[in-house]
Amino acid sequence: MTTFKYILRDTMRLLFNHWVLGLLTLITAGVMLWILGITTLFSLNLESLLSRLESELMVQAYLKSDANVEEVFNKIQALDQVSSIRIFSPSDSLNKLQEKMGSQSRVLDMLGDNPIPWNFEIHVHSAELVEALVNNLRAMPEVDDVVYAGLVVKRISALSRISSQVALIMFVLSVIITALVIYNTIHISLYSRRDEIGIMYLVGATRAYIATPFVLEGTLLSFIGAIAASIGIFMAYFPCINLLEANMPFLVRTLITDRNVILRFCLLLAGFGATLGWVCSYLVVARFINLNTKPL
Amino acid sequence: MNIKFSGVSKIFEPDIAAVVDVSLNISQGEFVYVIGATGSGKSTLLRMITREILPSRGTITVGDFDLKRIRKSEIPYYRRDVGLVAQDFKLIPSLTVYENIAFVMEIMGMPKKTVSQRAKEVINQVGLWRRRNMKPEQLSGGEQQRVAIARALANSPSLFIADEPTGNLDFNTASDVMKILTDINSAGVTVVMSTHNQIIVNSSRHRVIELYNGRIIRDEEGGSYSS
Repeated sequence: MTTFKYILRDTMRLLFNHWVLGLLTLITAGVMLWILGITTLFSLNLESLLSRLESELMVQAYLKSDANVEEVFNKIQALDQVSSIRIFSPSDSLNKLQEKMGSQSRVLDMLGDNPIPWNFEIHVHSAELVEALVNNLRAMPEVDDVVYAGLVVKRISALSRISSQVALIMFVLSVIITALVIYNTIHISLYSRRDEIGIMYLVGATRAYIATPFVLEGTLLSFIGAIAASIGIFMAYFPCINLLEANMPFLVRTLITDRNVILRFCLLLAGFGATLGWVCSYLVVARFINLNTKPL
Repeated sequence: MNIKFSGVSKIFEPDIAAVVDVSLNISQGEFVYVIGATGSGKSTLLRMITREILPSRGTITVGDFDLKRIRKSEIPYYRRDVGLVAQDFKLIPSLTVYENIAFVMEIMGMPKKTVSQRAKEVINQVGLWRRRNMKPEQLSGGEQQRVAIARALANSPSLFIADEPTGNLDFNTASDVMKILTDINSAGVTVVMSTHNQIIVNSSRHRVIELYNGRIIRDEEGGSYSS
């Protein structure tokens, strides 16, 4: 415990001795983690929006009049792409259509016999699977026609792919930049004290005693940066949501608006920042101390 | 602490022999001067005892530690029992006199009160209490050397290594430093000191080991500077 107190004091000494560099690191780490957090939230929201759209995507398959409905139902249900399937009899379908058309439904009476065949409303796991499902359905001899929103499916699936790639690139870039800034700060801090480190080792300080203040310095800077980034995200996110709610209310019910979820996300970001700082500092300190305490 | 060198050589890259086939024994409580011209291998010999330099051949045993086979994790614990005073003082410039001395006790996890008491004791012993809050750069060479001695004394080591401790000092200051080293030795601590200072070696007679081109050419009990 006493040793830990001395180590904490040495950490504070390091932070105050290099406060300008520390402040710059803190700001850079904060900005990069803020970008990382905002990108992740944007990506999560986009994903939630796309998955809602995807869940609403459906393929309708109309059967030939001589098809065995139960047999086709089982065949379609067995397909990998299918998440759910609903069966509609001709009379159900007609009722649905009449409901949709409201007062204009009288026009349907002119058709005489119900022309709508047995049909299925099929939902898929994701937009990317629609094409494969449609091809499978079209290959079935019992299926007369397949109706789906082809272009919408393609666009949603492309958007989903691009958004995940952009989010991944932004995430990796933010992590690399934050890691490099912390790595360099601690390296400069170590380099400016390399003679002292040699002396400390020579008079009996353990490597852990020498290394810990530097590792704590990097972890603290990154953690404080992450806390600042989390506060920034909390302050920026909800005004954005309010703005969206005012202009595009239909969007809001698919976005993450629960304050607790965002709070947990911010805590996770702070933890991530601290871990990133710890890993970077540990790597640079371990390497530096190994090189500088080697006997000749 | 006994020191034993057996057939020790140190060859620096590409082919510079700093120490050649040295074998010697230093017993607990001895005071030994290591003398010789510049480049004769004195500092290399001493730095091998502190394990800053590893021998290319041979073995060095200090107390229970075989310095070639000692585990990395044991080195700090070995060094805590070796007081070191170097010609360039090796003080931490960002710390005050008091902090430099307290540091060697803090790394051992000593409580603050004990650290404070012991630091006061050794700072008084070298006569620098009034300078305790000064940084090394604010002190003279002699004062810095005394801080280095106080630091080496703080952990009550069994072995005291002094690499030309009077090298940068005037005669009077050098005499003060020698008096402190003699007192340390009187308390049973082994002292190994390299020096160029003829007057000191001749006035305070102890065992003399003379090196020439890395080899021991003289090992004389109570010897003088020149053979």
